[in-house]
Amino acid sequence: MDVSQTKQEHLLALKVMRLTKPTLFTNLPVTCEDRDLPGALFGELMRDDPSTIKGAETLMLGEMLTLPQNFGNIFLGETFSSYISVHNDSNQVVKDILVKADLQTSSQRLNLSASNSAMTELKPECCIDDVIHHEVKEIGTHILVCAVSYTTQFGEKLYFRKFFKFQVLKPLDVKTKFYNAESDLSSVTDEVFLEAQIQNITTSPMFMEKVSLEPSMMYNVSELNTVTLQDQGVSTFGKMSYLQPMDTRQYLYCLKPKPEYAEKAGVIKGVTVIGKLDIVWKTNLGERGRLQTSQLQRMAPGYGDIRLSMETIPDTVNLEEPFDISCKITNCSERTMDLVLDMCNTSCIHWCGVSGRALGKLSPAASLSLPLTLLSSMQGLQTVYLMKWQVCATHFLWRISNEDDRREQRSSLGSSLGGIILVSGLSHLQVKRSRQRALTNIHPSDGVHQPEQITSAPQRCR
Amino acid sequence: MDSEEAPAQRPVTLDITVDDVIREAPSPEPTSQVPAKDYLLAQGESIDLGGEFATPQADSSASPLESLMDKLNDQMMESVMISDSPNNSEEEDVAPIDSFLDGDPNEENEGNTKYDTDEQAKCLTITTEIEVSTVQQNEDSEFKGTDETNIQEHFPPCMSSHPDRLSPSSPKCEEPTLEKGTHLKEEPVPVCTIFSQGKHPHSLIPDGFQPTLIKSPSFSLGSGGGTDEAVTPSKLTTPLVCQPSPSLSKFFTDNGQTNPASDFFDSFMAPSSFISVSNPNAEIAPRPKTPKTPIATTPEHQLSSLSFSTLSVPTANSAHVSVPTEFTEKHLPPFAQTVPALSQHLPSAPSSQSQPFNHLQAVFSGSDDAFAKAISLSEVDRRHDAWLPSEEIRKSLISVATQQYGPAYGETNRLTMPGLKFDNLQGDAVKDLMLRFLGEQAAMKRQVLTASSVEQSFVGLQQLISSKNWRAAVDLTGRLLTAHGQGYGKAGQLTSHTTNSLQLWFVRLALLTKLKLFQNAELEFDPFGDLDQLDLFYEFYPTIYPGRQGSMVPFSMRLLHAELPQHLAKPQEALDRLHNLKTVCLTILKNLEKCLAEDGSMSSLTEENTQESLKLWRSRLSRVLYSMANCLLMMKDYVLAVEVYQSIIQYEPQQRVQLLSGIGRIFLQIGDIKTAEVYFRDVEQACQMTDVNPSLTTCVLMNRAFVHLSQNNYAEAHAAFIEVLKLDPKNPVANNNAAVCLLYLGRLKESLGKLEGLVQQDPALYLHESVLFNLTTMYELESSRSTQKKQALLEAVACREGDSFNTQCLKLA
Repeated sequence: MDVSQTKQEHLLALKVMRLTKPTLFTNLPVTCEDRDLPGALFGELMRDDPSTIKGAETLMLGEMLTLPQNFGNIFLGETFSSYISVHNDSNQVVKDILVKADLQTSSQRLNLSASNSAMTELKPECCIDDVIHHEVKEIGTHILVCAVSYTTQFGEKLYFRKFFKFQVLKPLDVKTKFYNAESDLSSVTDEVFLEAQIQNITTSPMFMEKVSLEPSMMYNVSELNTVTLQDQGVSTFGKMSYLQPMDTRQYLYCLKPKPEYAEKAGVIKGVTVIGKLDIVWKTNLGERGRLQTSQLQRMAPGYGDIRLSMETIPDTVNLEEPFDISCKITNCSERTMDLVLDMCNTSCIHWCGVSGRALGKLSPAASLSLPLTLLSSMQGLQTVYLMKWQVCATHFLWRISNEDDRREQRSSLGSSLGGIILVSGLSHLQVKRSRQRALTNIHPSDGVHQPEQITSAPQRCR
Repeated sequence: MDSEEAPAQRPVTLDITVDDVIREAPSPEPTSQVPAKDYLLAQGESIDLGGEFATPQADSSASPLESLMDKLNDQMMESVMISDSPNNSEEEDVAPIDSFLDGDPNEENEGNTKYDTDEQAKCLTITTEIEVSTVQQNEDSEFKGTDETNIQEHFPPCMSSHPDRLSPSSPKCEEPTLEKGTHLKEEPVPVCTIFSQGKHPHSLIPDGFQPTLIKSPSFSLGSGGGTDEAVTPSKLTTPLVCQPSPSLSKFFTDNGQTNPASDFFDSFMAPSSFISVSNPNAEIAPRPKTPKTPIATTPEHQLSSLSFSTLSVPTANSAHVSVPTEFTEKHLPPFAQTVPALSQHLPSAPSSQSQPFNHLQAVFSGSDDAFAKAISLSEVDRRHDAWLPSEEIRKSLISVATQQYGPAYGETNRLTMPGLKFDNLQGDAVKDLMLRFLGEQAAMKRQVLTASSVEQSFVGLQQLISSKNWRAAVDLTGRLLTAHGQGYGKAGQLTSHTTNSLQLWFVRLALLTKLKLFQNAELEFDPFGDLDQLDLFYEFYPTIYPGRQGSMVPFSMRLLHAELPQHLAKPQEALDRLHNLKTVCLTILKNLEKCLAEDGSMSSLTEENTQESLKLWRSRLSRVLYSMANCLLMMKDYVLAVEVYQSIIQYEPQQRVQLLSGIGRIFLQIGDIKTAEVYFRDVEQACQMTDVNPSLTTCVLMNRAFVHLSQNNYAEAHAAFIEVLKLDPKNPVANNNAAVCLLYLGRLKESLGKLEGLVQQDPALYLHESVLFNLTTMYELESSRSTQKKQALLEAVACREGDSFNTQCLKLA
């Protein structure tokens, strides 16, 4: 671009105007009563004003559209529209006019012109008009490059360019959090809860038209953002689904592994792709924006090689009365395991049965149901917990699980010495904490069944 | 044994909500290497949609400062909506972001607000200083005597200006929290970016504000591009403007029979003493211009001129003050127990007064219509002036009435002492622009009415208002108030009010508001406090307004006072005041429904009167609700705004269609098209219910057009506006909107031709700032010769518009 070129030399003038949505004119109602000094004057003035609403002049929001007054902000996901006008300022006919509009981003250059063919001629005081649209997909500096080439009537070929720079900003801030909810009693099928916090970091209110989670192939998703009231789904966000600047909203989704993946607990493991959020919003008079997050990844809860889950457990048991529980042991490793069940009594819980019993071989991804009987001699935990029995049970199971883990360690490591875990006297406190976290992290108000975290991770010590 | 160590670790182990960091998970094989905390994890991660910005650049309009790339030193787009052709590069440097017309509710206006408050702070301090100094200057040459009521005579003129009162309330900066990083509350979380580069968004926010809505156009001078708006508060700093204008000082220092001041004074005061009891509007118009004897100065005279009060209270001439108390003594006992509200004593006066009237009326039995009229007027007075002051004021008013000597002398703090805060607004921005662009000769042709060119009376004032010369009208109110002794520099001095002086204040402040000179209005409103002061009630002046009670301040002025803070970035204060008004309205309505008088006293209101009162107060209530809703809309509290608009429908059922459409438009503004359509459907139903009324059909069509517009379907929107025009070819809104749609369809020339034609054919309708703004915007887009075309518009404006025309829409500056 030859900047030093004197501007008068060009016969054509190029103008660009960003076409954001027009706005509705607001008027400023000032009224008086007939009895006041101006009498009916103020009323008449307002009625005569074309921008007021006839019959309701005091309604501030009028119907008159006004063109955008400034470039405004442009946000990722919105559509950049612009009017490009090339006007023949001279008094001569100009020929072979070619107008090209490119958008230069940090990574690429896009051609936005509707047509690339040259206009054969442009008479004085005539215009070439073009309205370009581009959905903004990159953040940061964009440069609209408009190039005009033409031939004067004397056959002189002229060319000029203009650059229009603008910044594309980020409209939303999205944060996600996963909660693993193990279906406590039924199976190893695990639900995952995704909590997404979406914050409007623009400066204008934003209507969230759609916020949905598109799950990856392994999951089915259900949205938990509506509550059914009288057969109608009512949004948990209230009547108006808009987000003021800097407001944050939390969306909740429940993901269930599809059956083919769910049954094999070992399949979903490590880092898995959960899906992505698709967000569509609108602002002034329907100005639309759309964004997708990147694939949300989640670290599947590691169960180690062995996973133990509860199948049945009584709600309440009597003191010093044996009761039955049953649990399920799943081999999540890729090796066959030989399991031995050690049962260690504590001062308050006593196992009924033989400790050190071999459970036999468990092949990968296979599971084993295990009925057990135990009895409690103390109520100590009851004072701490509301759900004491369950928690107690958790506690025991946890210990079993550690036992199992130890066995597993031995076998899988193939070492007789190395990985022996001494089961520590795990305090109830720990169990309690786990329980509390499980409770507090799920908001009952969300209408979600509470994920139960019965099984805990194997304790690993050196 | 790790039993000791284990507990410490376990919270992590068992914690299902552990925020995990994906990057830290080294391998998908957790068995032996992954730390225990990975087993059960919940990840919190921030998905950065765009990345972080290294430098804060909120919006393009803020970025001119940044160094430009070398090869980009041509026109930048940032602040400029319209870039210009080579010839006009000067013009395009003027960022149009300060455009006055702001209809865009979706653009945040905090930035602007901030700016405004800064500006405001500056202006206020400046004017305060000046205020004090000029007050001192005036100390010697104080001219009084224009408003000498007997009350004032009792007081030594109080010269101390009250610097405290003048000091502006410190402007609040409302948006300090915006810059807080808000998504850092969690532990360090990994950032997934959709796009590779990352930038941090926080610092962007403060810059992102666009000047909008709240902005007073007169303040754009500093930033916008220097229009020659005559009356920006910053101009008050120039000494010339601060002082009473030379013409005015002359006006009052000259003495003599032909003194226009005394002329004026008579024409102003005489009616005020008379009108104060009868209907003020009824008698204003034909006013003899010949100087009258200053009857206003003595209360006896006043009373004698009040024919009906003399008649009704035979003793009034001799012992006018005792009359109310006489009645009070008779009627108080039964009333005192039951009457809870406003002035327990005086209420008995009018009701008891009306009884003698009835007798009189019976006696004269229609032979004299003036009596019937007088009675009905007093009813009207009561209805309109009714007010519920605060308990304290109410008690003070009672004591004023019972002690016979009205004002409690010590209580100057409960009295208002208003005075003009600035003088001589005169100025004509249109003319200034003409001087600049069209030369002196053209400017000479501009003829507008000024304060001096009209009769110095209410008639002249009305003339100025209706010809849209509001600046001149403000000047005239200033003159009239000066004649009343509340002129420039008189703030803080004891004074008394009359019905008319307060009406003048109302007109002045209303016009300042209309001119968007909100700071000026606030300054002058300041001495009035919360409009709950002793001397703003008729009971305070038992000699001048015997038997009259209620608020001297017109309701419209209270409303104006309540609305004002919303324009000064204090919308919460405005809401508070509006809620107070609403409470009073509701209480009065409740009283009326219980067949009591407005103030809750036992009444002898006829059924007809009660109905009239109910009607009046319902309309006032709905007006207050409108203001509330408008204020909420400005605050972008759409939920509440919609709720309030909806609640107005019950009071103004005839505005149902307009209100529902308005609510629909609010939803469109938010972007919620579905809900908007729900409301528009309601509108259509409402229209079907009523008979086919063309204006309602246009309303339906208009709504459809807006929906199309919101769906980005400009062609359909255009078609719908054209449909409206088939029904109502002169509809300015549809015409303008159709033209706007054409532009979005890429048909600039057509659009321009249409608007130009409209402005030429029907300037009365289309010389409106919104239309002109659109037109000038298109001129700028179309050609490099936009300035000439704008000047042509300026000429058109000059022929028709008064001095209140907002020249910024011409974008000539």
